[in-house]
Amino acid sequence: MELGLQVDDSRSPFTVLSVKGEVDVYSAPRLREKLVELVSEGHRQIVADLEGVDFLDSTGLGVLVGGLKRLRSHDGDLTLVCTQPRILKVFEITGLTTVFRISGSIDEATSAS
Amino acid sequence: MSGQRERRGVENLEILLVEDDAGDALLVEELLDGAGSGLEPVWTTTVAEAERRITARTLCILLDLNLPDSEGLEGLRKALQMAGRIPVIVLTGRVDRTLGELAVAEGAQDYLVKGTVSGEELVRAVRYAVERRKGQETARRLAEAELLAAEKARLERGLLPRPIISNPALSWSTRYRPGGGRALLGGDFFDGIELDDGCVRVLMGDVTGHGPDEAALGVALRVAWRCLVLAGAPPEAVLSGLQKVLGAERHSEDVFATVCDITLTADLSRAVVRLGGHPAPLLLRSGRVEADTVIQRGPLLGLVDDAAWPATTVALGDDWGLMLFTDGLVEGRTPDGQRLDVAGLMDLTSEAVGRGVGLGSLADELIASAERANGGPLLDDVALFLLGSGSRW
Repeated sequence: MELGLQVDDSRSPFTVLSVKGEVDVYSAPRLREKLVELVSEGHRQIVADLEGVDFLDSTGLGVLVGGLKRLRSHDGDLTLVCTQPRILKVFEITGLTTVFRISGSIDEATSAS
Repeated sequence: MSGQRERRGVENLEILLVEDDAGDALLVEELLDGAGSGLEPVWTTTVAEAERRITARTLCILLDLNLPDSEGLEGLRKALQMAGRIPVIVLTGRVDRTLGELAVAEGAQDYLVKGTVSGEELVRAVRYAVERRKGQETARRLAEAELLAAEKARLERGLLPRPIISNPALSWSTRYRPGGGRALLGGDFFDGIELDDGCVRVLMGDVTGHGPDEAALGVALRVAWRCLVLAGAPPEAVLSGLQKVLGAERHSEDVFATVCDITLTADLSRAVVRLGGHPAPLLLRSGRVEADTVIQRGPLLGLVDDAAWPATTVALGDDWGLMLFTDGLVEGRTPDGQRLDVAGLMDLTSEAVGRGVGLGSLADELIASAERANGGPLLDDVALFLLGSGSRW
């Protein structure tokens, strides 16, 4: 399935990146490119909305963590929006729940300071 | 595309003629027409134009070696590049025979001297050129496949060694299947070593991502684990050692590894499990499958600098099996479009063990079942390490 990526920068200072579809070994490079592009354009508070993600494998996780590291090294942050138990389980197994800030909605993610 | 071309036979196929002299072009068209070949000439005057006119129906390219945009062998090289798998036959004048021979050495399928060829000879030259090019393509693919197989075998030796386990009370079996039905490796790795004190150390790991870099990193981590274990590093220090190796060896900051590290006590009654972002092993006790949810988890390797990986001791009893696997096995689909997940794997395992499938063939059974559910080969690599003790195995 196609990976859908949509950027909404109307919630300054936050930039919402909506990810839809399957993030796997084949599509993850596109997500990486998009994150790198956003960081290089100066976006620092990125909220990745994963509510439309059907599947996330370890390569996809690697890309998200890479994005987080890149942002934190620029004093930014990557917050995830995710309520799907299956996707949350992936974060839990890999120990990422302690690394990412995971929010229940875009509003919640963008209201925090 | 080429399959379609082959099935259509010679009818309705095109000969792409690259010739700037209208008279010579007309001559070739008449030859093709006169031979009743059914081949349609498409006339272009430059290599650049020819490139735009290549279609799925292009059978062969006839190239004049004296064109305004591409003269002599330089022009031929350009034409060969744009032609790809389509054969190129060179047309030369009467005085250029040597050039024709050079062109064949350069990669043209044949050369024809203008004004000396009959229509029948032209069509035959085209047919032979097509067959020869097909043969070359097959040989090239074969050579490529052989190279790939050699590369794969080399990495596989590094990633998937034969465990060094001699305790006769412990049965074990390992299996690896590359992903996507292709002969390309990912970064799954495993190992198993019985130490002098009788403890058995077991490892299953997976480098995130897919490809030769990841596979090479998997080899590095697997060998590092073996070195740490053989050098007597305490189990609690092994994963942080591996994380250091990963940090030093990885080719990109986005690359991580998951590991499951197990120590079996010498009497095989207990397992000490450490998870670094890896799925917990399935535990079979008295033939029943349990996913041990009480196993504590640590993070992926390469994620947090000062990470700790808690140890969980699992009492095994005297009739047990442990199944370590990589996520490729549970990420396949099921007929209803969902993913197999660990729950699905547990069902498949219960079912197979219930049928009396032994340790030696359980891995193959599970991979086959997962592929059947997926409706084809699984996309990602799959590695399995099964261990068991008791009369059942």
